[in-house]
Amino acid sequence: MKRLISSALGRFRRPQPRLDPDSDAGIAALAFDQAYYLATYPDVAEVGADALTHFMTHGWREGRDPSADFSVIGYLAAFPEVAASGTNPFVHYLTHGRPKGVAPESPLGFRFDIIEQQQTLEARLAHITLGQVTVGTAEEFASALVSARDGLAGLHVTFSHDDYSTSLGGMQFAIRREAAGVAGQGRDHLHVYSARPWPVVREADETEALGVVWNGRVLGTFSLEAIIRGLSQAAGPVATGRSFAIHSLLGHAPDEVADILAAVGLDRGVFWLHDFASLCAGYHLLRNGVEDCGAPPPDSPACAVCLFGTWRARHTSGHARLFARLALTVAAPSQSTLDLWQRSTDLPAEATVVLPLAHLKSRGPGNVSPAGRPFRFAYAGLPVPHKGWPAFMSLASRFGEDPRYEFIHLGAMRDRAMPYRFVEVHGGSDNPMAMQQALEAADVDAVLIWPLCRETFSFVAYETVAAGCAIVTGPDSGNVVAFVTEGGHGQVLADETALTTAFQTGAILQLGRAQRRPMLYDLVYSALTLDLAMTPNP
Amino acid sequence: MKILCYSSFTFSYLNRARVLFKTLRKHHPDWELAALITDRPPEGLVFDPSRESFDRLVWASDLGIPDFASWLFKHDVVEVCTAVKGPFMHQACGWGFDAVIYMDPDTAALGSLAPLEAWLEDHDILLTPHLVDANDDHAAILDNDLSASRTGIFNLGFVAIRTTGEGARFAKWWNDRLLSYCYDDMPNGLFVDQRWCDHVPALFDRLKIIRDPGYNVASWNLSTRKITVEKDGRITVNGHLLRFWHFTKLGAVGDAMTRRYAGRNFPVYEIWSWYKREVTAATDPAIPERWWAFGAYEDGTLITKTERVLYRERSDLQAAFADPFRSGPDSFQAWLVQEGVS
Repeated sequence: MKRLISSALGRFRRPQPRLDPDSDAGIAALAFDQAYYLATYPDVAEVGADALTHFMTHGWREGRDPSADFSVIGYLAAFPEVAASGTNPFVHYLTHGRPKGVAPESPLGFRFDIIEQQQTLEARLAHITLGQVTVGTAEEFASALVSARDGLAGLHVTFSHDDYSTSLGGMQFAIRREAAGVAGQGRDHLHVYSARPWPVVREADETEALGVVWNGRVLGTFSLEAIIRGLSQAAGPVATGRSFAIHSLLGHAPDEVADILAAVGLDRGVFWLHDFASLCAGYHLLRNGVEDCGAPPPDSPACAVCLFGTWRARHTSGHARLFARLALTVAAPSQSTLDLWQRSTDLPAEATVVLPLAHLKSRGPGNVSPAGRPFRFAYAGLPVPHKGWPAFMSLASRFGEDPRYEFIHLGAMRDRAMPYRFVEVHGGSDNPMAMQQALEAADVDAVLIWPLCRETFSFVAYETVAAGCAIVTGPDSGNVVAFVTEGGHGQVLADETALTTAFQTGAILQLGRAQRRPMLYDLVYSALTLDLAMTPNP
Repeated sequence: MKILCYSSFTFSYLNRARVLFKTLRKHHPDWELAALITDRPPEGLVFDPSRESFDRLVWASDLGIPDFASWLFKHDVVEVCTAVKGPFMHQACGWGFDAVIYMDPDTAALGSLAPLEAWLEDHDILLTPHLVDANDDHAAILDNDLSASRTGIFNLGFVAIRTTGEGARFAKWWNDRLLSYCYDDMPNGLFVDQRWCDHVPALFDRLKIIRDPGYNVASWNLSTRKITVEKDGRITVNGHLLRFWHFTKLGAVGDAMTRRYAGRNFPVYEIWSWYKREVTAATDPAIPERWWAFGAYEDGTLITKTERVLYRERSDLQAAFADPFRSGPDSFQAWLVQEGVS
């Protein structure tokens, strides 16, 4: 018992003194959080009751929690035998340990937790403005451009929200591919991003220093004026070989972007739909962080109750200004992304084009998996809610001990609450094949790709199929659902209830490798803007 | 149709009322909005009605209620804010409007209320029941069905009338009852204005009971109402458009009841979260928490419920102390001390 108590204690707050340590109250006192209890249930404080005594006599029966880390209702709901015994669930947990398996999900669902903990954009912006930025001089910027070739004749300019060369993510990986292509063509590449991580497009009067990456090297941060002056001075006569791509306008002011481009004679280029920031400040189109919204009309009731609703106009008007200043070809990494975008905006695109960020190239059939092993069901990537981790945990909680199934998490970061197999995988630009290889090595049957928000392009989906695994996804997953449907790469299930049912009935087992005999593929990556047949700038 | 919509509150609820008026203004810019306040502004509050989102301000003290101080003293804050709804509605029938709508300050419009106008073409009185679907679960029956049986079938956080015919007759009757019998006294069959309205189907014609679940959604009926946010931006309740929500008991109690019956119906939490943000934004820090100018005697000593009940039950005390809020010699407060009551 001592071992169980001590292992559980790490999760809770400091102990209470002076109680018989063998009594129920004494055991509960070891992990009872008096401050939490009194703050959460002010009526207890008001009547002057001792918090622990109240919890032990009435509180737990009323569904009150002894600490922020323990849900009485959740525990009793998950373990009805404890509820039936009339035992105090907190004492049961501390003395017996949680019954085998994954922690039960809160009875209110993980979306409740997200809503309760959600930070407003106002609060995030207030945090941003506290940061300090060191700004380089105009001379320092200009001196870096001395290395420019032929008066910036072949300059390619890109904009995004961060430094693609040091940050991880799908968009950053894509820009790296584009940058590599530019370098391969012997051209100069200037990447501009906002020095601080603004979660929204900036207004004209919200000044910000700009970070600069020059030919793959971080130069530092500079003022808008320094960048424009430096470019104007370095640029030779207007050249036809220059180009630009806007990968994200987050953190940028539209006129600043157009002014920078004007300094090198550019006004015609590509605007990428890596996300939906051109439709809403909630650029994942994830209403209140919990559900795909589908970009409804801005005056709809859904937008009225959304955290991003009041910020939407900033993004639509900001992008309208950008499209007014520049002639933009809109490039979407998937057809589903372009379809939604066209349904939801009247921004005047010069042209539109769909260019997937990668495609599959066959390398033959995979090996046949040994018969009789459990169905291997995996989650690939960071264990975060908007990518679907709670849905995976919910399945693991329910079916983790079911001999038909084996649950595996592959990724760079482990969630300690998941007691099943974890395979550490570090991908990124240095090792883009890492996840695919890990999935293949683990002989995974199917991967849950259950994002709450629609993906514009999911590398994980392509890596999954390349490794011979099937995809299990939901209807709101954007290009994942299109990829699965069009390519026959797995199953699309209506919702989390259907997902649970598929495991309960065993219908999911038909996605086993032995049943599917999958092909294996390599991923061929796009060089993005360079793959587009662009009209040269006049 | 010319519509007046009003709410009754004290300065403690000004933040909630601001949210209500803001949402009404959004959906019904043509409605005239009125605030009925039974309070006095706290010191330090800069209260400029012309900068508020209502069009008309009526102080309860200006409703012409006889012996106002004495009458007011008989009520606690909930009772009196309810009681003044009657005289206001009765008097508003003579102000040139076609219809008058009352909404509690802790309600908010989340969709158009235009169907009310259409119903008022054919009916003189509109009421929303607490429940439009019965519960089967024991706990839900105890919490919701039996609670409604005790406190009233209809929730009087909303009532709408035509200013003529049965609507005007209702307003006069309501005025009369609330001036004399608007107390929280359930053993005697009273729960402020609500139990009275159990009589409305029997006493009045041209009544419409709104059974559309999109109206007056609240913790007491969430057990039978499923909220969905559609991809086209509509919010629906059991498939009907959401019209207005009753955010009763903002705080721990409201949260507990909401969670108990919303369960995993997460749009409920999205809507509550929105409401809390709106109320926070509408809160003026110059208003002390639980402020009510008529909650204390002249010297600042809080008035207890017992003292109010004693005063309202003793006509001799009412005759002796016309202004029971007064402190000092020969006051009701001094009498209480002298008699050993407080």
